[in-house]
Formats: sequence, structure tokens, C-alpha cells
Amino acid sequence: MNIRYQQIAGTSWGFIALIAGLFAVILAALGSVYFMEHHGHYVTGMSNRVVWGVPHVLALFLIVAASGALNVASIASVFDKKIYKPLARLSGLVALSLLAGGLMILVLDLGRPDRLIVAMTEYNFKSIFAWNIILYNGFFVIVAVYLWMMFERRMNKFTSKAGLAAFAWRLILTTGTGSIFGFLVARQAYDAVIMAPMFIIMSFSFGLAFFILILMASYKWSERELGDVIVNRLGNLFGVFIAAVMYFVIIKHLGSLYLAENSAVENFILFGDHIYTPLFWIVQMIIGGLLPLALIYLPAFRGNRSALGLASVLVIIGGIAQLYVIIIGGQAHPLELFPGKEIIEGYDSIATYSPSLPEIILGAGGIAVALIATTLLLKFLPFLPESLADSVADPHHKK
Amino acid sequence: MRHFPIILLALMFTSVFAHGNDGHINLGDKATELKEEGKSRDIHPSLAEIRKMHPEFLLHKRDQTLRQGIRSKRNSLKACVDCHSSTKNDEYLPINAPEQFCSTCHQKVGTSLDCFACHRTTPEEEL
Amino acid sequence: MTKKLNRRDFIKNTTANTVGVASIASGISLTTFAASENPVSNKKRWGMLIDTNKLSEANIEDMVNACQEEHGWGNEKYSTGEQKPDWIKKVKVKDKATGKIDSLPLMCQHCEQPPCVDVCPTNASVKREDGIVLVDKHLCIGCRYCMMACPYDSRSFVHENLSNQKADTPRGKGTVEACTMCVHRVDKGEVPACVEAVGGDGVIFGDLYDANSKINKTLKKIQSTQIRADLNLNTGVRYSGI
Repeated sequence: MNIRYQQIAGTSWGFIALIAGLFAVILAALGSVYFMEHHGHYVTGMSNRVVWGVPHVLALFLIVAASGALNVASIASVFDKKIYKPLARLSGLVALSLLAGGLMILVLDLGRPDRLIVAMTEYNFKSIFAWNIILYNGFFVIVAVYLWMMFERRMNKFTSKAGLAAFAWRLILTTGTGSIFGFLVARQAYDAVIMAPMFIIMSFSFGLAFFILILMASYKWSERELGDVIVNRLGNLFGVFIAAVMYFVIIKHLGSLYLAENSAVENFILFGDHIYTPLFWIVQMIIGGLLPLALIYLPAFRGNRSALGLASVLVIIGGIAQLYVIIIGGQAHPLELFPGKEIIEGYDSIATYSPSLPEIILGAGGIAVALIATTLLLKFLPFLPESLADSVADPHHKK
Repeated sequence: MRHFPIILLALMFTSVFAHGNDGHINLGDKATELKEEGKSRDIHPSLAEIRKMHPEFLLHKRDQTLRQGIRSKRNSLKACVDCHSSTKNDEYLPINAPEQFCSTCHQKVGTSLDCFACHRTTPEEEL
Repeated sequence: MTKKLNRRDFIKNTTANTVGVASIASGISLTTFAASENPVSNKKRWGMLIDTNKLSEANIEDMVNACQEEHGWGNEKYSTGEQKPDWIKKVKVKDKATGKIDSLPLMCQHCEQPPCVDVCPTNASVKREDGIVLVDKHLCIGCRYCMMACPYDSRSFVHENLSNQKADTPRGKGTVEACTMCVHRVDKGEVPACVEAVGGDGVIFGDLYDANSKINKTLKKIQSTQIRADLNLNTGVRYSGI
């Protein structure tokens, strides 16, 4: 099996329009950032109760997806599945791009983004946040090295070692991201060790959703051949991940319901009369879970690429809803300040949050950064195999 | 580590630009008074040192004050502001306003100063 | 890089009584004032005992007003509702079983094991040796993780530009802030503004470690509690009557 990699031409009007559109979104996002930083965060929907809003939802979504997007490469080099090998480069690229987009949002939503240098030079090693800064930076380095091993023929022999390192690193990274919440002892909505593994499994699913969409779009738009074998394999894997996420979500909520201490917040999320309950049941569980599973596994849609693409889009929507429920729903519910007592004045029971336009545009800007980075790098470096037709890609293909 | 860029900058700008021979364009009211009385050396024994090293002093002392509770006058940014503020029409001018004590130099060398995003820019007592 | 500044050996009991700096800067130091020239030590731990039975609702409102007056928060022009800073607030609680109603002031509890300090990525959340928990706004990048971690909802984020701050309380847009236990007054040997506002025995401020202090003696005698004692944070602010 000899795979030839080739840049995409990137000269069509469609390509230029895509780049221009993404660029416009990024410009709008930078404008929003200027607006927010100039006036202060009072122009956003956030407050002292809901301190992390939509930017954090999208940032964490992209960061989680980033580590998951690397999975395809990991399966190829760590678990030695030959069929995924041609996809490994793209997988690394998507991972880096998504992480860059997520971090951009995170940094630009800081109260003092101009002090980024402080975050890079002052570390509190007790802080999981500080560890994450190291993990994110390390991820860039390790995946870059990994990509280099794949690109450089002389270095090919180290690919599997680099892949193993990247795989281990990404597991730690997502554990770190999940632990941002898992270690908040005072918050009943978050204080659960299961948050970390749940974030890992979420990353598998969200990352693969992005990967499938980018893969199918780039092959379609560059008019290259993409065989059914690969697409169906990815589809099956995707289905397993989606089901696994739902499993973890159910276990998390059941476990939480079991603790009397947490039953208030669980009732709030699962059976409340506010946005978080429909977001959980309808968007996260049905649109982002059951529906994609149906699109992947129902015989009627078997091998249907539009169905798989739609499933990926739905998983992304459901994933954003999931993080919205976790991050914002978890903050909206009041802290249990006085167990056994009811607060009748001075501390509002449920905090309100409505996302403001600048926050949403900033979030969209992060997604645009991820996509523009992927698109441009596909043009400048040979990430994509010239063809992934079954005869090329499938190691068991019968001539 | 954090101090390194400041030391570097301090070394680079061995001459401080906003000074004619020995004078600062706008020393501030109390500081000018003290200087005329010949007492300024009691506070800043070496002019070259305070000009060159003041960012370093500020950094060091802010940590002492905030983290260790050392609140002597020599550790106090408030005291700097008290002495180096000017007045106009019976009102204090913010010390970081254009042409005032801090900005005369800082504008010239193109370094921003972040102190007054939080710190009060004028003496607190009434004139 | 934990922020440990070198602590020199020093004489006991120097904190509040050191007199002036006349010798160093004789030119301007015509007025001598009490200022501490020595680092605070962990031989002391500042704390407060709030007796809700002795506090009327008006007392608590006085405490809140005194805090605003002292530190200059609450006049923000644009911040609305929950965006406004809230260093100390009056909270009214009702016991679910007995129906007993209590009002209490709620602010930073100055924990011995403060979650905000643990989570802060840049060491901006800091606990002084004498137990006072502060935000070092020089290092705060405004990530707001401490606000997520605080069990007492006691921290605020500055949502807008500020000017004309109090000289002893620097505050600025994009950073997090909270009750400082009036550290600038405590270092001068005074009591926090809210304690002063109440007077009497409603709020006792003092050194929890000092066996001769009123707070220490009272705590030994009466029943008191910590909010969320289950978290084992060993707060510096204690309550009795709830």
C-alpha cells in the first residue's frame, strides 16, 4: 500500500469564498473582543454568579474536541490499524487547529488578556488551570513533532513512538480539562470524579464529529475519491463513541441523584422549568445522541454519507448543548450555603444568564480560527492522500 | 523571571529621556517644594538609581506590601503619588495624565504603565 | 513557583506599634504614623466572630454600608444586578425544620485552606501568613476560576472601568476582588470597617491564636459554627446564633 499525499489546489472560487467568509467571522470576533475589553464585561451576559458564559462553553468544546480529533491518528500508530494510517496526518492537523481555536476564545475572554504573559510565567502548581496551560502548550509541541515524524520519511520509524506519546498526552490533557470542574468541591453540580473520564469520552465523540465533517468536505470539494470502506469504518466508530457518551451521562446523573446533597441540583437540571432542562433532554440527549445513533445504525441510512454528515453536525450541536448545561446550568444553580436552611433574602436562588452577541461572535470566531487553520494548512502542506478509494485505502481490498 | 524584562528595559534605557540636565519637566507640587528646600536627596539619595530602578522597586515593594503587610512610607505607592502630583485650578491632576509626572517619561519611551488601572491617581486628602 | 518571600527573624509584637519612618525620610515624614515595617507572621491569625443574636438587620446594613464607604464599591455606573460587586451582603435564612429566621452578613470567610488560592493559576489569590486571604491584582488575569471555586459566593469581578478609587483599596476592571478584612487598617492596628460600624459585641475581631484575645476567649466559651464546616476549610470568620 503506497499512499501519496498532495496539497489541495485552493484556487477555486469556493475555496476563496470559504477563506473570506471565515476571515470575516474572525474579524468580527476580534471586534467583539475589543468591544468587551474596552467597556468591560458588563456588556456581556455574564455576572458574578455566572462567571463563565458562552465563550467558555465553546472554548471548552473545541479543546475537548481537539484532543478527540487526534484519536484517528492514535488508532493508526498506537493500535496499528492500517486502514487509519492515511488519515493520521489530517487527524493531527484537525487536533491542532481545534485547540488553537479553543485557546483563542479562552484567552480573549479573560478579564485581562493583556496579561497573558503573567499566565505563562507565574505558575501555581496546585492549580489544575495552571497544569492545563502546560498541557495545552505541550500538546502543540508533541503533536507538531508527531506530524513531523509522519511527514519526514527518515523519521517515519519513530512515528509510532511519537504517536504513543501524543496519545498519552491527550488522555492527560482531557483529564485535566474535565478536572477543572471535577475538583470544585463547593459546587454540587461538578464535584464528581466521573467528570474527568466523561470528558475523555466526550472528546472521542466531538473530535470524531469534526474529523468526519472535515474529511468528507475536503474530499468532496477537492474532487478526490473517498471510498466507502473508510467512511463506514469511521461511522461505526463514531456510533460507539456517541453511545458511550450517553452511557457516561446517565451514570453521572444517576450517581449524583443518589447523593441527597446533590439531589437539588440534579432536579434543577433534569426536571426544572428553564432552558437547561430542554437543552439537556431535547438537544443533548435526543438531537445530539439518539438521532445521530439512528442515522448511523438504522439500515435505511447505512452507508449514506449525508446521514453521517448530518449525524456529525447533530453531535456537535448536542455537544455544545451538553457543555452549556454543564458549565452554565451548573453555575445558575445556587451554591448550597446553609444545608438545612432556606435562603429567603440576599442570595438569589437561580442566577440568570442570557448570552450577549459579542460573546457568541467571539465563540464563533474560535470555530472560524480552527477551520481557517485547517483549510490553509491543507493548501500549503500535503496532509491529504491523493485518493482514499477503497482500492488504495483498504488493506484487504480484493483486486 | 517576571523581573527580567524590567531589568532589561532598565539597562537599555540607561539615560532617561524626559530630563533636561538635572530637571524633570513636571516633578509635582510637593516634590518641587522639597527640591527647592534641598531635601529631595533625603528621599531619593541617588537620582540615577530611582530613575533607572523605580520599576524594579515598585515590583519588589508591591509584593512586600501586599503579601507581607509591610506598609512603611518607602513602600507606599500612595506616598509617591502624594508627592509627585500637581494641581491645577485647586484640583489634583491624575498623575498618569499627559504631561504629568509619570507620563512625561513613559510616553517618550513608549512604555505603558499599568499601575493606575487599579490604583488611585491623585492624593486622597482634600486640597 | 510558590510566592514565598523570605521571612526574616524578627521581634515579636512589632506589627502594629512600629513608629514612623522619620529616620529614613525625615524630609517629608513630619507626621509620624504607625506602620508595620516587619512582615506579618503566622503566629497570628486574624478572625471574626459574628453573633447573629446580637445583630439587628440595621446593624448588618450598617456593616455593608461601612464596607462600601471604606473600599468604594457599589457605585459602578454600568454593571447591573449580579454584575455589581458584592464584597459583603446581608443574607436572611430560615431553618427548614424549625422555621427560625436569622440574618447574617456574608463575605469572604478567610479560610485556612482557601479553595480560591488552590485553583488560582497565577498565584494571584493569596493567603497572608496571618490568615487574611487577598487577591493580588498585579497578577490577576481575570480568569474567574476562583469565583467558581469559592463556596461562599464572596468574590466579585470588576465589570467596568473605574476611576477615583480609594487610595487604600486599588480596584480595577477585569480583575477579581473580595473582602480584604480591611487589611490596610489591620496592619495599622485598627479593626475592619464593618466591625467598627457595629461596635459592641455583635462582631468581635481579633487574633484567633492569642489566648488573651477576646475572640479566643469567647470562642472557648460559647457555641459557634463555620459556614459549610463540612468542607473542612477552617474559616477565619465564625458565626454564633445560626
